[in-house]
Amino acid sequence: MRFDRIWFRYARRAGWALTEVTATVDPGATVVVLGRNGAGKSTLLQLAAGVLEPVRGAVLDRPPVVGWVPERFPADQPFTTEQYLTAMAALRGLRGPRSRSEIDHWIERLGLGEHRHIRLGALSKGTAQKVGLAQALLVPPGLLVLDEPWEGLDSAARTLVPQIVAEVTGAGGAVLISDHRGEIASLPGAIRWSVQNGTVVTGVPAPEPVPEDVILELAVPRAEADQLMARLSAEGHRILRVREERA
Amino acid sequence: MTIALARMRLVALVRGGRILAPLIAGLVVLGIIHGGGQSPAASAYGYSAAMLFPVFAWLTKVVLDAEPDVQRRLARVAVGAARESAAGALAAVAAGLAFTVVAIAVPLVMGAIGPPKPGETSIVAGVGLGVLAHVLALGAGVALGSVACRAVTRTVRNGVVVLVTGSVLVVVLGLRGSIAPWSVPPVMAVSRALAEVPVPSPGAFLLLVGWAVVWCGAVLAGYAAVRRRRS
Repeated sequence: MRFDRIWFRYARRAGWALTEVTATVDPGATVVVLGRNGAGKSTLLQLAAGVLEPVRGAVLDRPPVVGWVPERFPADQPFTTEQYLTAMAALRGLRGPRSRSEIDHWIERLGLGEHRHIRLGALSKGTAQKVGLAQALLVPPGLLVLDEPWEGLDSAARTLVPQIVAEVTGAGGAVLISDHRGEIASLPGAIRWSVQNGTVVTGVPAPEPVPEDVILELAVPRAEADQLMARLSAEGHRILRVREERA
Repeated sequence: MTIALARMRLVALVRGGRILAPLIAGLVVLGIIHGGGQSPAASAYGYSAAMLFPVFAWLTKVVLDAEPDVQRRLARVAVGAARESAAGALAAVAAGLAFTVVAIAVPLVMGAIGPPKPGETSIVAGVGLGVLAHVLALGAGVALGSVACRAVTRTVRNGVVVLVTGSVLVVVLGLRGSIAPWSVPPVMAVSRALAEVPVPSPGAFLLLVGWAVVWCGAVLAGYAAVRRRRS
């Protein structure tokens, strides 16, 4: 898939959010989009998914099946988890037993079992986010666009994101993922793009440890990992790796 | 997939209760029109169709605006831009047709349709003309409501302005002696035609249908063109 000299602004009078963006995403690639809040990460991802149309330029060769996980799942809908996923599966042309088995698979996989018959509006933010993830995966996507997918997820669910990304890329799909919290550390082989001042810099080098650096290995309780990583990133430290000790 | 999306939206509309406001408004309108004694079928349905036009437009706006913006965009990613916008209009037409059945049945059930006097059309023919008048009003209402939806107008205020201004213009520019009758759909013209005794020739109705089709087609094409850019 290619971004071909894309320009985008939200309204005629608004300034350009993105100017002359040209970039290529290869099949099987994982691209992490970095940048400050408001830099235009979400805009770029929505252009990739086809949610937004570029004002000038074009997105070329977008795969036919696109999964998009928005930053905030729209939970204000009168459906239960199962009803919603059934309806979203029907939009993808999935019906009957195939639809049911896909839905069961993702409900199981994402740990949504006890929320199956709960209304979307009554779900916690993280659980609703998982429903958002499930609807994007009902049909294996050729392009998966994840907008801050870790937001609101608990630590147990956070490790699912890299697994799912690996499965999609393993099947030849491309993944575009935005991240402002340094979770990229858990995505081996990811390509880095940076959005700044309305342009996209591709091929941002990963922060390598330099000889003067010292590498610390820390063990922290699950519940505190999020906060600690955010704090360390904010202080300018580079997080190289996050892993789980399995019992 | 367009049908699946239209169905999903109608289910959400009914379950979420958002259908209630336009539904009640429509029933009130029907009660007012038909509550005042008996009248011939054709003219009763002619009034009903014209009075329900703004209700159909509002119903369409409610159908298109019921979903959160992000859900509309998720649907767009799933089925594509063209099918997503078509599914909205389709859901509105389905809801409007269901209400048309109610609008045709209410005066019959209430006994508001009087037996035809000499020179008037039969009740059966009057019902047929009534269905035609309602379908034309529904088409015009769906067209106006589509361009008043949040995805097109972006703000609630602009949406309401389009809906109200459009409804008023359809009435004002549809009056006898209007300066630009062709600029609005023939909602008032159809209502007048149904009140005439005897009713105009089939040719006259064919002209009205053609006029309505061209007007609705043009406005819906505008809606589709705008929605290609605005998700």
